[in-house]
Amino acid sequence: MRIKASPISSPLFLCLILGAIVVSMAWTALPVERGLMFNLEALFEPVIATPEEAVLYYSWWPRLCISLIAGAGLGLAGVLMQQVLRNPLAAPTTLGVASGANLALIAATLFAPVLLASGREWVALGGGAATMALVFALAWSRGLAPMVVVLAGLVVNLFVGALAITLLLFNQEALKGILVWGAGSLTQSGWDGTAYLWPRLAVCAVLAFLLLRPLAVMDLDESNARSLGVSVRQLRLAGLGLAVFITGCVVSVVGIIGFIGLAAPNIARMAGARRLGPRMLWSMVLGALLLTTTDLVIQHLAGSRSAMLPTGAMTAALGAPLLLWLIPRLRLAGNKPTTAVSGFTHRHARPGRLALTILALLLAVVVLALFLGQTAQGWGWTAQWSILEWRLPRILAAAGAGIMLAIAGTIIQRISGNPMASPELLGISGGSAIALMASIFLLRSPDNVTLITAGTVGALAALAVLVVLNRRSGYIPERLLLTGVAITALFDAVRSIVLSGGDPRGQQVVAWLSGSTYYVDLSSGVFIALVAIVVMAATRPLARWLDILPLGAATASSLGIGLNASRLLLLVLIALLTACATLVIGPLSFVGLLAPHLARLLGFSRAREHMLGAALIGALLMILADWVGRQALFPHEIPAGLVASLIGGAYFIWSMRRR
Amino acid sequence: MLSKHLTVLLQSIAISLCIASGAAQASAEPERRVVTLDWTIAETLMGMGIKPQAVAQLSAYHDWVAEPALPASVIDLGLRTQPNLELLADLEPDVILISQMFSNIAPRLSRVAPVEMLQLYVPGTDTWTQMLQLTRDAARLVGQPQAGERLIDRTEAAMRAYRQQLPAQTKALLIVQFIDARHVRVFGANGLYHAVLEQLDLENAWQGETNSWGFSLVGLEELLGVDGQLIVVEPAPLGVEAQLADSGLWQALPEVREKSVITLPPVWSFGALPSALRFADTLTTALVDRHAD
Repeated sequence: MRIKASPISSPLFLCLILGAIVVSMAWTALPVERGLMFNLEALFEPVIATPEEAVLYYSWWPRLCISLIAGAGLGLAGVLMQQVLRNPLAAPTTLGVASGANLALIAATLFAPVLLASGREWVALGGGAATMALVFALAWSRGLAPMVVVLAGLVVNLFVGALAITLLLFNQEALKGILVWGAGSLTQSGWDGTAYLWPRLAVCAVLAFLLLRPLAVMDLDESNARSLGVSVRQLRLAGLGLAVFITGCVVSVVGIIGFIGLAAPNIARMAGARRLGPRMLWSMVLGALLLTTTDLVIQHLAGSRSAMLPTGAMTAALGAPLLLWLIPRLRLAGNKPTTAVSGFTHRHARPGRLALTILALLLAVVVLALFLGQTAQGWGWTAQWSILEWRLPRILAAAGAGIMLAIAGTIIQRISGNPMASPELLGISGGSAIALMASIFLLRSPDNVTLITAGTVGALAALAVLVVLNRRSGYIPERLLLTGVAITALFDAVRSIVLSGGDPRGQQVVAWLSGSTYYVDLSSGVFIALVAIVVMAATRPLARWLDILPLGAATASSLGIGLNASRLLLLVLIALLTACATLVIGPLSFVGLLAPHLARLLGFSRAREHMLGAALIGALLMILADWVGRQALFPHEIPAGLVASLIGGAYFIWSMRRR
Repeated sequence: MLSKHLTVLLQSIAISLCIASGAAQASAEPERRVVTLDWTIAETLMGMGIKPQAVAQLSAYHDWVAEPALPASVIDLGLRTQPNLELLADLEPDVILISQMFSNIAPRLSRVAPVEMLQLYVPGTDTWTQMLQLTRDAARLVGQPQAGERLIDRTEAAMRAYRQQLPAQTKALLIVQFIDARHVRVFGANGLYHAVLEQLDLENAWQGETNSWGFSLVGLEELLGVDGQLIVVEPAPLGVEAQLADSGLWQALPEVREKSVITLPPVWSFGALPSALRFADTLTTALVDRHAD
């Protein structure tokens, strides 16, 4: 993947503009009337007599310094990751380092607070390194190939995020500090953060420049690099390790700062820094300036409320549109999936009989989930309608959502020929989640109809973005997924901003995000299940396309299938199915990923039987997940979406490892 | 001087007796089976001596509200936002009390038992008046209106007593709670602490904006230059104390340098009358002690 050349000659021009903005914004923020010398003296020879001077010395100057240092560090980490993975979309946030650090801090706060007392940076570093190691482990057997690493990062991100949300759901009050940190606040109250960060980053920068020459060879093809005697794997490990260490240090001090690590290297490259050396240098400068500019603007606009608008989440929110703009400018490796994955192509001798077996199993699980469970008196079989009336709609909704996600997943996996593709990753669930959070916060006491309307509007908006950005390129599957990554990034940012304020309504947001069948009543449960069954029947004629599209553009055209029209239709179908399912079980779920995968593994290979098998398995998984979630911590309920994503995520991590 | 201390002591005893007399009635079984999702309503019920049948998220209630403690026989309903409906149906309560935060599940709850929504922390209304209204509404809904009046009388009597105990010249107060070593929640208009300050004729030093729950999340630097006696409400997250020792900004605060920061034990900051009473009690004791030094 390469970025097209840009007419701007050098990043210098851009840096000068940003630098001028920083200086002028800083100038207006400082008490200028007391003269330049006073302000500089406040930095070097502080005389702290008035509150104003204390704020200047202990807060304003450290904040400026830490944003410059952190920005430079993230820029460096980004350029290393992108160079090593030869993927312009690699960044600390996309590879799971940030979410791993977040989870580690949450877990430590709840279960081992002693660790925090001895140094929270080490907890964050440990968590980030562990998730990154997991991503490495998953991609190791494919020689850390770029696309595999990014997809593994995505799966690990979702999995770790689901774990974090589970803990958050039950401990929101205890975790309010972590939420502020997780949103990336640059607020400083002394020089300790700066003193911690700068020596570490200085050492890392020196090491990075020592790695410069071997890393530059990676600009060549992998085989060429190997023939030049460079051990690609070890080099990647060294580069990524360094990037993780930098990220861990930055993240532990200022929290999760989105987008800088992604944007700075890309902007530097587009602005004309082609070779690795200049790119590293300019990425650091640009990263520092971008973060500082954003932070100064936020401080200026928000005034005393700037803690409510955490800089890290704001950069991520601003970065999402840039990412969307960037995607059409990436030259992707054609129409063919980057990694040909064809693990499970065996076909079951009698798929019909297999489907009947699964159906029987499904019915057995329905009976179990309906009648067996805990009440005030403990475990038991219950046939009282007053209790069943709460269980039945949830079973119907879980089954319906499972079916819809499974069908959507089957379609996208078949047209992209990539078993790692999933409707959750398209960003449609992210879009509807953003709209739901907005309506919870902007409207007073919204009812369920309002919430569902808002969610649908959000899902359609995300769909519109997907269509507009991908229409010209002909809906290339990888590009669609990347658009989804951008929308998901925006969703993460909005979530961080919303939760960091500590508003008690955040509880409601967390409850919804975790994806529960809780809010379904009987009529909507029946409706969801009916829709799912109708969709299952209606998609059967589309099976021909799904058998042919993966064979390639040429085959499909020669068989008389309009490529763009059929892809658009399938896309709309996927989007609607995902939106419906998301409204029921939330944006975090691996069912759309897992069900088609399992169906294929069991031997449903042709499109028609694949869809049927996936739908049955999806329903089975969701009903089980819903039941386990209701019983495991009774009377507390773990939402079905979370249970599904924990099971599904664990399965995926295991199966990727095995291959 | 001695006589003044004696008066304070006697008043404290009188107030304690007042509070204790309310608690003593808690053992009486209510006539109706009442469940609530909201901790603020739960503490109001307990303050009136009415034991709810079930409350949501019990363990977190004990962590964050703590007082008045719920008896062990109260049943846990699960998460506040997603109470266990199967369990609720099984318990067959007579009435379910909720606040507007749970309005989205009210239709579902109403299929189990009649749901009554009590208003609290509505922007643009006086918090104290609303707390009194909440108490009266809750008492009426559980069929014991006189219990509500008793709680109100007791609280107002206690507030009057505290008002008299307080030193005449008290600085404006700046009330914060640590989120981490760099951020605090500062409590202002619309909140419980602010309402208590108004009752005690004390001034709140934080005149800035707050959200509907009466607080604002700010960095430590916002506290500098605000002229007021700094009050820290516990709990602080673990490790914050150690970090504050290294925090230049914190050490630069005049009260920190003079070691005159007042630390108060945890009080549920989104509570109603019982929490208000507890906060007023600890605050008054701390201010009187400070004045006596």
